[in-house]
Amino acid sequence: MADKIEKTSDKHYEDKFEFPLWKLIKQRAEEKGISYAKAAPAVVAEYTKTIKYRDPEFEDKVIMARAEELNELGKKEEKLGIKFKDKKSK
Amino acid sequence: MTDDLTEIADKVIETDVLMIGGGVGGCCAVAKAKENGLDVTLIEKAHIDRSGSAGQGIDHYEGFFTRDGTTTLENVSNEDWRLGRYGVRYPNLNVKYRLYKCQFWVFEQLEKLGVPMRWDDGEPYWIPFPFVGWERRKTGLRVHWTNIKPILGRAVRRSGARILNRTMAIDLLTTDGKVVGATAVNIRTGEFIVIKAKATLIATGKLMRLYNPETPMPWKYKFRYHFCPASSAGDGYALVYRAGGDLVNMDINAWTFRIRDDLTCSYGSFSLNDGVPMKTYTWDGEEIINPNATRYKQLEDEGKTPIYFGFDHFSEDSHKRLEVAFADERMLSFKVAEERGFNPKTHRYELQDLSPTGFYRVSGIYIDENFRVLRGNEPIEGLYAFGDGSAGGTSGVAGAATGGLLLAEDLPEILKDMDEPEIDISQVEEHKQIALAPLAVEEGVEPLELESAIRDICERYVGMFKSEGKLREGLRRLGSLKDWLGKLSAESPHHITGYLECRNLLDLAEVHIKACIERKETRGNYFRSDYPEIDKDMDGKFFSQRIENGKEIIELREPIPLKPEYLKDAEEEKAELQTADAAS
Repeated sequence: MADKIEKTSDKHYEDKFEFPLWKLIKQRAEEKGISYAKAAPAVVAEYTKTIKYRDPEFEDKVIMARAEELNELGKKEEKLGIKFKDKKSK
Repeated sequence: MTDDLTEIADKVIETDVLMIGGGVGGCCAVAKAKENGLDVTLIEKAHIDRSGSAGQGIDHYEGFFTRDGTTTLENVSNEDWRLGRYGVRYPNLNVKYRLYKCQFWVFEQLEKLGVPMRWDDGEPYWIPFPFVGWERRKTGLRVHWTNIKPILGRAVRRSGARILNRTMAIDLLTTDGKVVGATAVNIRTGEFIVIKAKATLIATGKLMRLYNPETPMPWKYKFRYHFCPASSAGDGYALVYRAGGDLVNMDINAWTFRIRDDLTCSYGSFSLNDGVPMKTYTWDGEEIINPNATRYKQLEDEGKTPIYFGFDHFSEDSHKRLEVAFADERMLSFKVAEERGFNPKTHRYELQDLSPTGFYRVSGIYIDENFRVLRGNEPIEGLYAFGDGSAGGTSGVAGAATGGLLLAEDLPEILKDMDEPEIDISQVEEHKQIALAPLAVEEGVEPLELESAIRDICERYVGMFKSEGKLREGLRRLGSLKDWLGKLSAESPHHITGYLECRNLLDLAEVHIKACIERKETRGNYFRSDYPEIDKDMDGKFFSQRIENGKEIIELREPIPLKPEYLKDAEEEKAELQTADAAS
């Protein structure tokens, strides 16, 4: 139980975390003397190159794996008598 | 007439088109109307460069595209059916159909205005196919729109339209039932402005401020209302209502579990954008399926709340996608996370308790498919509405931009034979008196105090689980707040905004509570504890509310059926698709 509670404990609010992309945006804004909003597009364009946006095989794999996990979780909840919203569109 | 007006008003403007609201929809309409040769005036209570729901950016365009680019009746009717299960009903599917029909034209139009519709490699990037069976979500584009508002702002400036930033509409001007313009006040200078217009267009966003925002620090992060910033006081709804137009489905709130003040990655939003859903947990770490209202109530009874989102199962690639989503839509998320030390790789994010948010996509200003505002079954001459504030059945940029562009395309023809508007001076005098009154009140109440009281009534007496006694008590208490409007003071013209917003919120809270009193059933996510069953007589119907000759009218209406030509269109399109499929 302690491990599970850990995820929402105060402890996590003490560590400072810096998002890598945010750091890059701030750096560019400072270097160019421009706003974060103006700095963002160029930085984001570079950053997206490191992400598998055009890899449908990878995306589908991740999505389907998660969908399977959700199905299993749904079955578990149904066994417990919990009814959850049916998201099917038909 | 104009001479008299100039004695009352600091400025009188005569224009073909008055656009109230400079969000995405308003900017698109203005740029297009100017392109079509019209004289256009835009008023915006904030500044067009960062105002409206898209002020901080947008990361997706839910433009109803399907991957093969089709728009079929099946899409439309499925959506209606799906939402019908949750207690809502499109008042007029023809609007939705018209919006669906032209999405690729809108794509081109937005590109022409300088809006980046394509991904970094120059091609559109379709949102990955996410949940099995969640059909709607294969119909959107992922976009980098951090700066969509400055981009559209530039387009509007280039168009040569008359732009009045920091200018808030007071009320619409009417003559013989027609809308002939509006009065407004500059909230920096206090300048009182009269705008005579052949056509008055309203796109002021969704009503959100009858309920609490997602953050417990509302005044610090006030602008971070989900879907909309602080401007979302339902100004357009109130203008239309007081001018005799109908509001519909005002009993229907949207509700959702939103991440509280942590990151503004909303419930489901990342799954919408990139296909990978977050995990939902009870406070003590048990993973659960995203609960519906009934299940959430159960969790509360079991002491399992608050519930949390976790991103800690994400791959490195998904974490990076999350960052890009923040940069594209709400860069402030980084700042908040930085201030509070949040780390999506280890933290869990508290979800707001179950409570209503703004009004649903089918709620708001009643319009026909030509975006004309309706009074009963008839359009009000000279008055148009589109975007989130209209009950057009769409929300977000797609509905707003499309509505604005389509209407602006029609305007030259509409205005061709329209008479010059005539103004009723007594209305102008009355509006001026109303708007400037708080400047003369000394040591009065601050508008925020009254707004908090209105919101408290809606939270306490309407909320998620409604009952006759609570609703009636809420209405009584709301009535007692009306006198407070006259006690509000404005230290400077800037504070007139808050005062006028309170005036609008008071009217709309009353409309909302009365609609809820009228609807005596439980259906979908509309809960009446004293009427726990579906009322079959309500199937497919919705309430409309207006003021007629000073009297409030509330009517139960049937949706306007799809036009035969739209049905024919859909059938032909489907046949074409089948032929194309067979050929391929």
